[in-house]
Amino acid sequence: MKISLYILTGIILLTIESSLLSFFPVEFFKPDLGMPFVIYTTFFLGPLPGFITSLLISIFQEILSNAPHGSIIFTKLSIFLLATFMKSKLYIDSKYSFSYICGGSAVVESFLFLALSVLSKGETSNIINVIFYTIPNAIFTGFVSIFIFSLIESLNTKLLSKE
Amino acid sequence: MKTSIIIITAVLVLAFSFFIFTNTSLFVNAYAKVRCNIGEVAGPALKLIGKPANLVKYLFETYVNLLDAKKENVELKKKLDVLQLENQKIPELDNENKRLKSILHIAEQNPNKMIAARVIGEDIKNWFRCIIIDKGRDAGVTEKMPIITPKGLVGQAVEINKWHSKVMIVNDTNSSVDVYIEGKNSRGVLEGTGKTTLKLKYVLKNDEAAIGDKLITSGKDSIYPKGLPTGIIITVNRNNPGIFADIDVMPFNNFKRLDEVLIIKKR
Repeated sequence: MKISLYILTGIILLTIESSLLSFFPVEFFKPDLGMPFVIYTTFFLGPLPGFITSLLISIFQEILSNAPHGSIIFTKLSIFLLATFMKSKLYIDSKYSFSYICGGSAVVESFLFLALSVLSKGETSNIINVIFYTIPNAIFTGFVSIFIFSLIESLNTKLLSKE
Repeated sequence: MKTSIIIITAVLVLAFSFFIFTNTSLFVNAYAKVRCNIGEVAGPALKLIGKPANLVKYLFETYVNLLDAKKENVELKKKLDVLQLENQKIPELDNENKRLKSILHIAEQNPNKMIAARVIGEDIKNWFRCIIIDKGRDAGVTEKMPIITPKGLVGQAVEINKWHSKVMIVNDTNSSVDVYIEGKNSRGVLEGTGKTTLKLKYVLKNDEAAIGDKLITSGKDSIYPKGLPTGIIITVNRNNPGIFADIDVMPFNNFKRLDEVLIIKKR
């Protein structure tokens, strides 16, 4: 129940983001709204929900993006695996520490994407573009994840407290 | 034990995604089917969410304009607010009317060659440039169909679903268009940079190219038909090393402000 609600919320937020971006001329910052859901489910619900969330969210992100096929699945699953291994070493005690981890994961995702493009295909045309947006994306992903954390917590309290 | 199985599965899917990325046909075909099925949901969802988003846009624009009105006259604020709201609607509707008329004019001139579509979404990653339009397979859209506006070239359809399509716009880093400099003999390849401007490549330093020259598609890339306006040259640098000039181009369209587009049907 929990995981399906989180995935649905994530997909709705991604659709709203894509729809609103066609109206507002925002280019410099586009937060990764899927990242907080991947991190939250992996850290708080365990590996299976984390894996399912990262897979579904990444497929949906690829549908709403011109990213090469497979690239976002690769980076999101890598983030999921890293989060699984780092789970015992990192401690999320508040929405702020959650936001740092989400922001950090956005930076790691950018570099994973670059490594994948350069090492497997030798594509260098997009390097400057990806590096240019890495820090703003990470900052805004971290910022937005504070609100997403609060949203998930309120969903837990209001809808899922009986589980 | 359970965690190990999940991690092994995740690593296998990771390898699967790597093979998709490297275009291994077996994996690409399987993934295309999954994407297609999930993708069918995205179009209607975008259309549905686009409606309240339109309202948000209207409220946002109204709010921005209201700030100016407040500065002008505090005492008549309330009265002005109402008038401003009314007045803002008219130019907005007028602009939309003009836009739609020009689209309709082109579409009527070429009834069997054009499909009009609305922009319903944008790329959620700023590493790439694409828009999502509300016409898909059902409307007869196929891959590599050129997308234009009355101002000029927008891009090409790259992924078609039942109700919506994804369009790679010309400033995506993966985009390249074969172009002529209008009225001159020079030809080059217009490439996306991921930013507002485009790069015109492979134009020799002794070729005719000057600031203000307009670019049109050459039709030689077999995607875009000949004669579509694409952009205007804004800088020409011949002092760089190498045999080619460094040329920046400003596209005719502002891709952040696209509402309606036309899809050119393939001959």
